[in-house]
Amino acid sequence: MGIYKYLIVILVLIFPLSNEVYARPISWSGGSTFMYKTDSMKSSYYYHYSPLYRYSLGVEYVNDRHFNDQYFNLRGTYLLDRENTKSSQRNFYITGGLSTKSSDNFIYGIQGDWETRRLYSAISHTNQHTKTKDFSESEIQLGIAPYLGEYDDLHSWIMVKAKKNTIDNDWNVYPFVKFFKGDFLIELGTKNSHWDIHYMIRF
Amino acid sequence: MIKKILPIVVLVSCNIYAMDKMHEHKSLNNDEYKTITHSSDANNMFVEFTTSLSNMQIVVVDVNGMVCDFCARGIEKTFYNDNDVKKVKVSLEQGKVLIAYSLNKKVDLDEIKNIFLSNGQTATDIIIKNI
Repeated sequence: MGIYKYLIVILVLIFPLSNEVYARPISWSGGSTFMYKTDSMKSSYYYHYSPLYRYSLGVEYVNDRHFNDQYFNLRGTYLLDRENTKSSQRNFYITGGLSTKSSDNFIYGIQGDWETRRLYSAISHTNQHTKTKDFSESEIQLGIAPYLGEYDDLHSWIMVKAKKNTIDNDWNVYPFVKFFKGDFLIELGTKNSHWDIHYMIRF
Repeated sequence: MIKKILPIVVLVSCNIYAMDKMHEHKSLNNDEYKTITHSSDANNMFVEFTTSLSNMQIVVVDVNGMVCDFCARGIEKTFYNDNDVKKVKVSLEQGKVLIAYSLNKKVDLDEIKNIFLSNGQTATDIIIKNI
């Protein structure tokens, strides 16, 4: 497992700092998660703790390159509904956050996912209110696992992400890959020379 | 006619319900376990898991929603917090988790169900087997 820790650290150092909705926003009861995410507009570092499997509370540092701004968000996510079957899991969440800059800055949104060992799909919609401008972002993800790994194996996913925000007002569709093994997960995608990167560590 | 059928339906229903409950709680010997699992893969998993173990209680849990390795990480971590847990094996393919408890542990089925719930999955069936 040590090599994956080094891989994560190296990738964090190589790629430039960005944010929006996070996949797997709640951990197990008592579990912690650290995430780093960067895309064409923002970078963010996010730590959250789940006192119960129903919700998580976290702190996020955002470097907003689009508005040339830096701030912290206090974020919370609540699991509205979950359905487990033998071969699938489906979740719906609501999420929200307050910025430490001022009470005029806050975000809120909804997200949902459905997955099997072979297929993955997720949707999200987030609204962000700032002093200067309000905007929203929608995202759709679809993925397929080329092989079915067992527990402790390296798991790989080929994914497609479609994102639209009301600033650019245009859908961006691009492929990305997702790998996870043990407590580490990384997603890598690129479009028009913009990296979309997401690391996650659970402990 | 209905008077004849109704008692039979009630009797069969009660038996099915009782068998279902027994399935959840019963401690089994080898032959009984093989009969219930109906799966050579599940038996192989059990044999492999218990190869180096003795004088243990093996709890076999069927789990719903365990489709993602990354999401199942908490299962191992939570069970290993219990000093009486000696070994844990998760199989995404089988949808099963095997837990080896020391014999002095009084296995609490509700506690096991809650552990899975707190990790995001659902325990649907639990079998305890002494080895």
